Amino acid sequence: MLAYTAKRLLTLIPTLLAATILVFLFVHLIPGDPAAILLGDTATPEEVAQLSAELGFDRPLWIQYFLWLGNVLQGDLGTSIFFREPVTAVIGSGAETSILLASMTMVWIIILGLPIGVLSATKHGTWIDQITSSGAMLAASVPTFWLGLYLIMIFSVTLGWFPSSGFPSLSDEGGITNLRYLILPSLTLAAPNAALIVRLVRASMLDVAREDHVRTARAKGLHPARVAIKHVFRNALIAVAAAFGFTFAALISEAVVTETVFSLPGIGRLVVQSILRRDYPVIQGVILVIVVLYMVINLLVDLAYARLDPRVSLK
Amino acid sequence: MALLEVENLHIAVGSGGKLLPVVQGVSFCVDENETLGIVGESGCGKSLTSLAIMGLLGDSTVRITGGSIRFDGMDLLTLSAPERRAIMGNRMAMIFQEPMTSLNPVYRIGDQIAESIRQHQQISRSAARDRAVELLTLVRIPNPSERVDSFPHQMSGGQRQRVMIAMALSCDPKLLIADEPTTALDVTVQKEVLELMADLQDRMGTAIVLISHDLGVIAETCDKVAVMYRGKIAEAAATADLFAELAHPYTRGLLNSIPVVDRDVEWLEAIPGRVPTLEETLTGCAFHPRCALATDFCASRAPETSQFKPNHSVQCHFAGGSTT
Amino acid sequence: MNIINFLRNAFAGRKLATVGFIWLCFILLAAIFAPLIAPFDPLEIDPVGRLAEPGLPNLFGTDHFGRDTFSRAIYGARMTVIIGVGSVVVALVCGGLIGMLSAYFTRLGHFLMRGVDVLMAFPALLMALVLITLLERSVFNTILVIGIVYATTTARILYGMTLKLKGEVFVDAAVCSGAGHSSILFRHILPNLVSPLLVQASFIFAFAQLQAAALDFLGLGLPPEVPSWGNMLSEERIYVTRAPWLLIYPGLLIVLSVFSMNLVGDALRDSIDPRFKDDIAGV
Ligand SMILES: Nc1ncnc2c1ncn2[C@@H]1O[C@H](COP(=O)(O)OP(=O)(O)O)[C@@H](O)[C@H]1O
Ligand SMILES: [Mg+2]
Repeated sequence: MLAYTAKRLLTLIPTLLAATILVFLFVHLIPGDPAAILLGDTATPEEVAQLSAELGFDRPLWIQYFLWLGNVLQGDLGTSIFFREPVTAVIGSGAETSILLASMTMVWIIILGLPIGVLSATKHGTWIDQITSSGAMLAASVPTFWLGLYLIMIFSVTLGWFPSSGFPSLSDEGGITNLRYLILPSLTLAAPNAALIVRLVRASMLDVAREDHVRTARAKGLHPARVAIKHVFRNALIAVAAAFGFTFAALISEAVVTETVFSLPGIGRLVVQSILRRDYPVIQGVILVIVVLYMVINLLVDLAYARLDPRVSLK
Repeated sequence: MALLEVENLHIAVGSGGKLLPVVQGVSFCVDENETLGIVGESGCGKSLTSLAIMGLLGDSTVRITGGSIRFDGMDLLTLSAPERRAIMGNRMAMIFQEPMTSLNPVYRIGDQIAESIRQHQQISRSAARDRAVELLTLVRIPNPSERVDSFPHQMSGGQRQRVMIAMALSCDPKLLIADEPTTALDVTVQKEVLELMADLQDRMGTAIVLISHDLGVIAETCDKVAVMYRGKIAEAAATADLFAELAHPYTRGLLNSIPVVDRDVEWLEAIPGRVPTLEETLTGCAFHPRCALATDFCASRAPETSQFKPNHSVQCHFAGGSTT
Repeated sequence: MNIINFLRNAFAGRKLATVGFIWLCFILLAAIFAPLIAPFDPLEIDPVGRLAEPGLPNLFGTDHFGRDTFSRAIYGARMTVIIGVGSVVVALVCGGLIGMLSAYFTRLGHFLMRGVDVLMAFPALLMALVLITLLERSVFNTILVIGIVYATTTARILYGMTLKLKGEVFVDAAVCSGAGHSSILFRHILPNLVSPLLVQASFIFAFAQLQAAALDFLGLGLPPEVPSWGNMLSEERIYVTRAPWLLIYPGLLIVLSVFSMNLVGDALRDSIDPRFKDDIAGV
């Protein structure tokens, strides 16, 4: 297992490097002096010259890249134009919201997506299946912001059950109960993703149900529910697990819309606001963080995959 | 009364709103300690018949449309689903044609055998595991106490089929149905598996229904034979009686066919043509288009089952007549 | 003829998908004949008739500029078709070429597909946002960005499919009969991929609608005055308590169109060559 992890980490490095090059080039693709871009409109010529020297903008591009990479590896992602703070600090302040939102969303996806998918597959061909699988497709067709706006209208404005926007930190007054701020956002974000999981669980289970070993399981005299869970669902999980990884990783960027709808102080809204504010150091930093996170999560999924499927050799 | 009595079994396949008959009035019986061979080309309905006995036709498009299956004094077709499941894998067990895919790839084989045991017997996890090792020894898996923790993909086809046999025998079944258990295996492995089954039968007194498309295999291992052609029993008799005089031209054709190793072409053609598909409707004897003895009469009237010799039945207007 | 049979098979016995297909035909007609159908100019501002309720003459009411929502919705169908078709074309042409060439010329392919892998490390919406940052807000750029985002997936998919076909006998036969590379790729391999491509195209169309709406909502998609359903939602959302219809109609139009496209894709997927079924990225 350890050797396999190490090997997968090694194969990740070239992709990671290539991705960092793209992120690095991002600032250079914007027309204008990169130092001026990184400092924003209010910078004085002296400041521009100083940063230019610091980041080596007068030197060849590849040297600039390594200077930048060196800074990144030391945890220096530059300074936000808007906040006048290190980018790492700015991103860090959004991390709590984003991580909690993604985790709660994942919980919804699991407790909604898996059981409904199993139900749909085991009732294959009945009206229950038709309603759940078409319903899931419908849910996957709803723009998240539209759903979010209606959830706010119904559950916040009309019924007053949940707050409609913002998220005080768990360490603020209210503590753990502040999670109620995230209930509507996480449901919003979960809906289309849970729908995709329902469809996937259903399709994978129907595929597995046709396999010969399921007939063997039935021939043992097992209860159909046991066959469905221990044999069909368990094997279908191999395909579903891969999707879970992608979903979780993608949530961080999909949260952009949800965080905007619910005015949550997360990384997603930070991206949008930074784009609108032309705060390029922050944009660059966030992209880098998200891409690295995305890759790491996918690596973890690969490892989980190897655990789920004994046929995947760990050597 | 025999252990298993299949009487006038009819099975049909739903297709585009119509029911196409696949198995049409099959009857046979098997006693304890006896081996019945069912032989016939691919597509004759052998697998469907065996799945019907086992209770595995399930909720697919295939349905039993008539007849009865009695097992150990019970009418299987009138039992409730839980009652049926209490028999499956317990007093009646089955092994399949596809050893490579018949085991669940994600569980250790020991666990898969234990699952079958614990389904029907109140025993502890560790006792079930010990029993699994015992069964693996019985089916001659080398090094059973280690192999019990292997995954299916770590075993060869022959070994996997042995595991299937071990699993099937785990609750000492009275009846074992083996649907072409050796078709997918190499010739040498084939022989070993068949010998193993015969051996186990001697020891445990299990009744066996052995399905094959190889008359040679049947001749070596079975006490009696039923020859199936397109959903009907063309000829049935004790093995010795059958080979003493082959009554049906189809059986003679099967004997003259030589199975070849290449599985794409299962037979070196001794019978011209192939089994008609379900969609093709035929009048008269289903075999007449391929039969050298066929006359206009064969094309217009289907033969009834008749007694060719005592305990030797046949469905042919010209039973015993010689070809070539 | 072939395509018609394919469609007929796909929709046989699927009522919901057939309804979806008919709905999409309506959208297409509305898009083509928008100037004839729309009773008002979608851009005409009427400060007096702001936030009028649905009724006559404004079927879907008016927005906070007093523009006729129904007319804007009809023109929105036009944007839907333009964005959808545009992104599909960009995705299929770029991604398709990369995927097919990579599978065919293995050495080049190794290089290209590593590049695709790197791009796929950027989550779809993030990549769209990054690209948008570098570009102006315009219809063309929105199409380009969404098209490029889905080009990566398409490249992956076509790579897999072409690899499968490359091993087939008919390709060997074409090679033996002296066919050139382009002839093999485009005359022998591509025709076999038409129906799976059609399926993939319908799913990309559906995804593209949702992405475009999300970009509009974030204020990073089409220019704000362009009457697209996403912009209508984005522009009017602060008036939702006073004029709920401003959110209902465009939202429902998006949902119905995306849902229909997904239904159509799902129906088509079930009638293509089963070998390619697992390659398709869809709902
Ligand atoms: N689930 C099914 N649905 C439709 N037709 C089937 C099904 N299973 C078997 N058949 C058809 O029934 C006939 C008999 O099949 P089978 O019992 O498997 O034959 P055998 O085992 O003798 O080769 C074949 O023509 C086959 O195509
Ligand atoms: Mg068979």
